[in-house]
Amino acid sequence: MPGIGPRTAQRLALHLLRQPEEKIRSFADALLAARSQVGQCQKCFHLSADPICEICKNTEREKDLLCVIADSRDLLALERTREYKGLYHVLGGLISPLDGVGPEMLMISSLVKRVDQEGVREVILALPPSVEGDTTSLYVSRLIKPFAKVSRIAYGLPMGSELEYADEVTLARALEGRTTMD
Amino acid sequence: MELDVVENRLLLIGPNGVGKSNLLEAIELVCSLRSHRCSRDQDLIHWDKNEAIIKAAANHGDELQLELRRRGGRKAWLNEKALVRQLDLIGPLRCVCFSALDLDLVRGEPALRRNWLDRVVQQLEPVYSDLLGRFSKLLRQRSHFWRNSRNHSTHDRFALLNAFDIQMALVSTRIHRRRKRALEYLQPLASQWQETLSNGKENFSIDYQSGSVLQGEEDEHSWRVSIEEQLLAQRDNEERLGSCSVGPHRDEIGFLLNGVFARRFASAGQQRTMVLALKLAELELVGQIYGDSPLLLLDDVFAELDRTRQLLLLEAVGEKYQSLITATHLDVFESSWKADSQILEAENFKGFIDIR
Repeated sequence: MPGIGPRTAQRLALHLLRQPEEKIRSFADALLAARSQVGQCQKCFHLSADPICEICKNTEREKDLLCVIADSRDLLALERTREYKGLYHVLGGLISPLDGVGPEMLMISSLVKRVDQEGVREVILALPPSVEGDTTSLYVSRLIKPFAKVSRIAYGLPMGSELEYADEVTLARALEGRTTMD
Repeated sequence: MELDVVENRLLLIGPNGVGKSNLLEAIELVCSLRSHRCSRDQDLIHWDKNEAIIKAAANHGDELQLELRRRGGRKAWLNEKALVRQLDLIGPLRCVCFSALDLDLVRGEPALRRNWLDRVVQQLEPVYSDLLGRFSKLLRQRSHFWRNSRNHSTHDRFALLNAFDIQMALVSTRIHRRRKRALEYLQPLASQWQETLSNGKENFSIDYQSGSVLQGEEDEHSWRVSIEEQLLAQRDNEERLGSCSVGPHRDEIGFLLNGVFARRFASAGQQRTMVLALKLAELELVGQIYGDSPLLLLDDVFAELDRTRQLLLLEAVGEKYQSLITATHLDVFESSWKADSQILEAENFKGFIDIR
């Protein structure tokens, strides 16, 4: 399993062996249920037990604002901020020919269709600042520009950090993405 | 082993295989975190040992320590404080190294000259490494894309290539600009050293033949746009050849001696002098920028310089730079070199240098 080394795996296995039987049974059932019930939302491709996820169903959210992320983990991170009130679109990865991932394998055409048909006003690209992230951002923005405003999240210094401890590449990126003071 | 360098010039004398270059390599490693000879840490550790430790104390009080392990990564300490970023070890001590391997700089493939220039720029601008990393990733992504995209429609392919082009044009512009600028700094220094070392007979100039056409004055926007156009124009060719023909990976740095390409026309001795002039230019440039002269490491290159060039080098480097020099015999040095030098004669007993 990702993120778990041999020692931790051993500890978890020994811990599970010491648990009462019903606890293990309900745990196993929960795993099975999750496997069989959780699928993808048909609109945004976030993980969901229903055909349409909680976020897409929520009428309080702004329907004309769309945030594009690479996978569901990024969505959860953005949700934790409690700042964003629009909808999402999960691409399911980043364009990377080296890993055999082309645009056709990601949820890009459905994104363009959605933006075109649902009257989206702005699309926010929240993809990582890597070569693959930038390639995907550029590719997607070209396709969406005819239909809606496209913006990209800023890259720069983490909060609470001090300039002198930031690495040079992050600082250079932050300088490049500077904003005008009102 | 422990070595106390007491004079400005250290001559290390000993037979082949005694470990002279090893000592210089250790100094190069602790100064720059890299060895010009090999790239695997395993090859830098004694056969029977699991780790190697290099410690250096500089005049101005900094103490550097680098630990290499057969398993696991490196560890670096500065003034007994473990460093989170090993790169922070670079700075208190800098060095420029010249060995027989460097002779390929003039007569070898263009890639060797690009790598040398990149290392110089990396010392001057920390952001440069990120640019190089990005560019090589983009190239790999792009060539992989060509290999696996035969079944896609032209329209789809072009949309993705456009996304690559935009990024490559930006990164290329920045790499070209930095390389060009570094060469503009190095050229007058190298040409002056060549003149000194050849007693005014030889003229050294550098011709930067960039892999993209850079029109007009240095300007990020116009260069970028022009590179984007060039990338688009070569696309049909790229499809046939499978490799991108525009960008800094196609740069050639032409070294000219008296106006002709040294790679083809200069004699072996002249080429050697040119490499030395380039290294001294690098030494001077790094010294100018950091306000502190780097160490000069000369590994077995003396025997190949004629008497006059040796004497001129001594005169030029003289007291200005601290240097560590290896040779197999003391007689290759002119007598004036031996004066004011710390001389270390190494004997081979058990594969290590014994210093008494």
